[in-house]
Amino acid sequence: MKAPGANAPHTGEEGNSPLLVMKGIHKSFGENEVLKDIDFDLRAGEVHALLGENGAGKSTLMKILVGVHRPDAGEVLVAGVDVTDQSVQSKLGRGIAMIFQELSLLPNLTVAENLLIGREPRRPGWRINVRELRRQSQELLDTYDFPIQAGARVETLGFAQRQMIEIVKALASGARILVMDEPTSSLTVREEDKLFSIIDTLKARGIGIIYISHRMSEIFKISDRISVIKDGQLLPTQQTGQTDTRQIAEMMSRGGKAIDWDPVAIPTIAPDGFPALRVAGLRTGRKLRTGVDLTIAKGEIVGLAGLVGSGRSTFAKALFGLLPDAVGTVEVDGRPVKPGSPARAIAAGIGFVPEDRRGEGLVVDHGLAINMALPTLKKLRVGNGRFPMVLPNSADSLFSYMRDQLKIVCRSGRQRASELSGGNQQKVVVAKWLATDAQLLILDEPTSGVDVNAKEEMRLIVREAASKGMGVLLIASEMEELSRVADRIITMVDGSLGRTLPGGASETELRAALQADIDAKRKEAA
Amino acid sequence: MSNATQSTVSQPNPGSALLGRLLSPGPHVTYIIFIIIIGFFVIFAPNFATWGTAGAVGRITAVVTIMAVGMTFVIVCGEIDLSVGSHVSFAAMVVAMLLYNDVPGWIASPLVLLLGAGVGAINGIIVTKLRIPSFLVTLGMLSVLRGLALSFTGSMPVPIVDREYVEVLAGGTMLGIPAPIWWTLVTVVAGFYLLHMTVFGKRALATGGNTIAARFSGINTDLIRIIAFALCGVTASMAGLVLSARSAAGNPILGQGLELDVIAAVIIGGTSLFGGRGFILGSVVGAIFIGILGFGLIVMGLSTSIQEVVKGLIIIGAVSVNRK
Repeated sequence: MKAPGANAPHTGEEGNSPLLVMKGIHKSFGENEVLKDIDFDLRAGEVHALLGENGAGKSTLMKILVGVHRPDAGEVLVAGVDVTDQSVQSKLGRGIAMIFQELSLLPNLTVAENLLIGREPRRPGWRINVRELRRQSQELLDTYDFPIQAGARVETLGFAQRQMIEIVKALASGARILVMDEPTSSLTVREEDKLFSIIDTLKARGIGIIYISHRMSEIFKISDRISVIKDGQLLPTQQTGQTDTRQIAEMMSRGGKAIDWDPVAIPTIAPDGFPALRVAGLRTGRKLRTGVDLTIAKGEIVGLAGLVGSGRSTFAKALFGLLPDAVGTVEVDGRPVKPGSPARAIAAGIGFVPEDRRGEGLVVDHGLAINMALPTLKKLRVGNGRFPMVLPNSADSLFSYMRDQLKIVCRSGRQRASELSGGNQQKVVVAKWLATDAQLLILDEPTSGVDVNAKEEMRLIVREAASKGMGVLLIASEMEELSRVADRIITMVDGSLGRTLPGGASETELRAALQADIDAKRKEAA
Repeated sequence: MSNATQSTVSQPNPGSALLGRLLSPGPHVTYIIFIIIIGFFVIFAPNFATWGTAGAVGRITAVVTIMAVGMTFVIVCGEIDLSVGSHVSFAAMVVAMLLYNDVPGWIASPLVLLLGAGVGAINGIIVTKLRIPSFLVTLGMLSVLRGLALSFTGSMPVPIVDREYVEVLAGGTMLGIPAPIWWTLVTVVAGFYLLHMTVFGKRALATGGNTIAARFSGINTDLIRIIAFALCGVTASMAGLVLSARSAAGNPILGQGLELDVIAAVIIGGTSLFGGRGFILGSVVGAIFIGILGFGLIVMGLSTSIQEVVKGLIIIGAVSVNRK
């Protein structure tokens, strides 16, 4: 069937005519039907948020949009023109561009070289006209009011600036439909605000944005409409103003009902005897120059609030012994641990869930059971660790126990870690440390790239573990998560701890406290 | 709502899964090529399918198999050791010199194995502590060991007259099985136990699979890699002992070019060149594959130079279906 608007790209009412229409999209990979009859549209100048659990079909739909995959049925209309079967290249020409989660810039080149790569202005003899290159790119940057120098090397820029460059690059090639996949995942609070104001500018210019994210707070902040993909089907699109977090979470969850959304009562455990962790004067060469003092009671969850690069991850790594130059006093349950060796830290009862799940937390090509058993291999030897032999089934029995405890969704312990969703992968990493009977669990961004319900589950798992007496140090960039999960929140700026806020402090309070600390630090430096 | 859930979780039907498994690269493809090549020799090489062949292949294969066991550990850790060929010559020269100077064989042999472990550990320490890629370090070590082996006697071979030594390592038989095969079996069993049944083996696999994640799980990945290089040194020295006993001399060019056969055997056996996946028994099959290939080409009467060409091409082909 030919689209009715195929010969008339611009219909009467400019404001209401959708920029993009995807109609009746079907896609199967082999036996597996990934998308079933999806109808999705995007208007000029709006932000349409797209949500769904990992594997629900979001990325497949976006890949069909940009032309990586072809749909088995259905059509894609851009401003009324059927572009269903066009390639990635010609779709770029039609104004569809994707801002990738992993940015695709070349860090060793300048901003100008990146912006006009492949289209550099020439001089006779195939030489690049460097001056013209820089002038044209600076003009582009200025058009969108992005405060970036065209001559700067990309590697010297922060993530937010790199993202701006990606956006300019897309706009320079004539993009009118932008797909943003988790754009804030590596941004600081300030950078986030910058991105949101950029998005506002783009909206005003009539550019349509498809915004993929797991972060509810930002979705409600910037989107106009929200669509949820579940099991390959698009649930009815909601106007952002007429729905709320709870409703969206319910739509997303597989069973149809969200996990209890009300905050659980925080158990107040009197710190009897030794604290789970006592740190005094922990310092490292570059980041933690002043030395950090911190005490975490048994059963207490302490949140660290701060910007990316504030030294939170460095502190976590120093605690876990990953930084050889760390010095200071670390005591776990009253026993001193000399910093500088992860093996010693583990033996003393520290567990560490690192920020980069796939790069640091898991051997993704290996099975789940062996991943989970890595820190506890010695205990899993035959005869309770007496004989120098590990049999595969000992790792399997550990795995099946943890699988029941943490409700890990998978086929078996032999399944590769790479095949699981983000949330389930994270559960495996957490289980690794629960198996060591850790006294102190350090969680660095435990819910990044994890969908809403998995986040809730993770919160319950952590709370459950804490209620059994484990101390938890939680690092999270999402203020909402800190305020919901932690019993006590401490800010961190430039490698030193700032003020302490009670658990449940609102996002606004947290942001204000953090900003005040940053300003104080600046004044101090000046 | 619930039936929608079920249909997405539905898995590909078993028929296509089986087909996918057969077509996906992996050791089983090697086994198929292996069988095809044996079939080819049985049909086209005169008198190939005999017990004599089996014995000869066994003897040729012994040395490569022993070395492949050690190499498997290094490759599993995501590293490579190019110095093993020179290492064989070096070990053979050292043991011949010791025997020549009337050191008894039962002292000389363990000493040489220990020396091999030491040299391997040096490789590992340079790789891990100075963070130099292993192929560069071991390429340098290849030259060092070759030079040392040549310099002991001004490149002259040293005869070995200790009959007991020759008997125990190469000449003798036990239960009708030649000594080199016994030593190979001992090495393979020890290697299998170490890689597949001990904490060290699991840690080596994790180190190769994702060094950072392994370190973040409390594994001393530097130590694991140093041990892997040391094991590789021990097996190369073991191979040097067997070869020196077989030729009744320490010859400084004894092990030349063996590194190609050994690395090919390991990769053909399904061990990932990028680390994290490895099978000792696969390496044994890989070594037998290389042995049969070499022997079959000799039996067919191809000249040594053409043999080299054919062997190289087949190894590239076999490795390419097995990469990753």
